[in-house]
Amino acid sequence: MNEQRRQILQMLAENKITADEAERLLAAIEPEESDPAPGARVRAKSSRPKYLRVIANFNDEVDGEFRVNVRVPLRLLRAGVRLTSLIPPRAVVQVNTELAKVGVPFDLGELKPQQLEELVDALDELTVDVDQADMTVKVYCE
Amino acid sequence: MIPQLVTVRWRRRGNRVRRLWIPVVPVALLLSPLLVLAVIGGVVACLLFDMSPLRMLGGIGRVLWTLPGTRFELEMHGTAVFLGIR
Repeated sequence: MNEQRRQILQMLAENKITADEAERLLAAIEPEESDPAPGARVRAKSSRPKYLRVIANFNDEVDGEFRVNVRVPLRLLRAGVRLTSLIPPRAVVQVNTELAKVGVPFDLGELKPQQLEELVDALDELTVDVDQADMTVKVYCE
Repeated sequence: MIPQLVTVRWRRRGNRVRRLWIPVVPVALLLSPLLVLAVIGGVVACLLFDMSPLRMLGGIGRVLWTLPGTRFELEMHGTAVFLGIR
């Protein structure tokens, strides 16, 4: 408990302020406490999603109904993404060359594990919801 | 935690559901001679392609460790397949 919070609770205990005022004061100091370091993501561990869920339903007149329901642990995505750092240098050069040939000037060597981690972390907030007459697709984290 | 149980469930159109439970650790122990050969082959391949065998084994181990919780379910034309890893 930090000093500001302690002072507010002390004032509330001494009846110097009302409960509503204490609540407002605590809310006011909240952003300072939860001010994240640059680039860092602060979130309660219990509220962090664990799985990436993909649910798709297609209803085609010719092929009939087609349903897909996939649940992938986000940890698995992170581990998979880290495997990309093991690509041998020779392969990286070849991939870069081929990408450049098709007009994608992308350097795989510049892809750092930390950036990939941030990319997977950002998936936490991903929600895709497609709803059409013959097709529904939902992608979200849970 | 390493995967403990793989559940496979499938149903063909008009047929009843069939289930298969695969206990991973006993099966891995049973196939351990083959796994050792696969690891040796993997290490040789890593050395041939200028990759660190230790990092590769660590990466594959990390992927295996994070597999529990994975579910895959597909249903089409009355045929359904389910794969779950616990």
